[in-house]
Parts: sequence; C-alpha cells; structure tokens
Amino acid sequence: MSTEKIIGELQPIFRDVLDLPTLQLRADSNASNVEGWDSLAHINLVMAVENHYKVKFALGELQELKNVGEMAELITRKLKA
Amino acid sequence: MKEYRWEELTIGLQARFEVTLAQSMMDSFLSLSGDINPLHSDPDYARAAGYSQAVAFGMLTSAFYSQMVGVHLPGRRALLHGIDIDFRSPAFVGDVLTVSAEIVQLNDAYRRANLKARIVNQKGTLISSAKIRAGVRE
Repeated sequence: MSTEKIIGELQPIFRDVLDLPTLQLRADSNASNVEGWDSLAHINLVMAVENHYKVKFALGELQELKNVGEMAELITRKLKA
Repeated sequence: MKEYRWEELTIGLQARFEVTLAQSMMDSFLSLSGDINPLHSDPDYARAAGYSQAVAFGMLTSAFYSQMVGVHLPGRRALLHGIDIDFRSPAFVGDVLTVSAEIVQLNDAYRRANLKARIVNQKGTLISSAKIRAGVRE
C-alpha cells in the first residue's frame, strides 16, 4: 500500500479525532501545523490509527516520527511485516 | 480502592459497582454546579414536562464514571484523559444504578487505557454509555 494511499486513509481518522471536518492531511502535516494536535490529541490519534490498522507502535518508533508522511511509511512497513 | 499496575491491565478486564441515587446527591450537585433548571428540582415542573418526577442531572450520574476510573478500573494510578458520554434515558432519585466498564484498548507507549462503560438502572434500562480514556501513572 502506498504512502499516499495511507495518508488518504488517515485523513478521516484525523478529522474525526481532531474534530476538524475539513482538515486536508498532507505528508508534511504535523503537530506544529495542524490545529489542536496537542499531546493528548496525539495519544488519541495514535490509538485510533492502531485500532484502524490493527498494528502497535513502540514508543521509540513514535518518537522518531516527524510528520504524517513518516507515520504513513511506518504503517506501510508494519503492514508488510 | 483498586490499584492496578499498567502491566496488570488486559483487554476485557471489567469492573462493576452499584449506587443508589439519593436526593442528597441531587442537592449537592445543584449547589456545586449552579444548574437551577427546574426539571431537576421541581417535581411539578418535571411532571408537566412528561416525567414521573424530577429528572436527575445527567452530569451527576456521569460523575460515577469518575469513581469507576479513579477507584475501580484502573483505580488509584488513574488519570482521566477524556470521556465521551451519551445520555440514553433519564434517571431519578431512588434508582439503583449499576455502573460497569471494560478495557477495550491499551497503548503501552503512552500507558493509556480506553474503556467502554455504561450505567443501567434497576430495570436494566440503559441510562448512559461512555467511552473513557484514562492514563495510568507509574
């Protein structure tokens, strides 16, 4: 599954969790440029993504992520594993 | 009071307790919340609105979700992160409420437990349902 496709799938999840119905998620989207993406919202996002893809993220993996594009790449790697 | 450690929590772990809704709780909640809506304090007004008696404050019954998290599951180490509540039916003074919860998701990285919870009355009627997000401190 491509990174672009993953980002497309993440968009409704992020819209729902962040309560931003018109959010346009991009590869470079991150906590500094998306409204309401604070530390608690981050946990909610991670758990919603884990629930959607039935994957688990380690704390080290999460701490290395710089943006949604890197999260999508991590998801792609986990789905292939 | 329960004192689950993070490592002891599992998907499917449940807790349950009963509580009888007392008039003193209504009085206290009115005082602290300032919600003077007569639906909750005037039986005649409530009857005119179609209820058998004054309707319990929804947020009062929801306070029992706080007890669930802070006392029962996960208990002492809990820190409530958030809660989404749907009110399904009215509750009344004298109702015996059963509050139950179950862990549905755990995140090791952030030590977060997500629970689904519900409150039913003595007739089995669903009063409210909730999605609870609770952190677990070390």
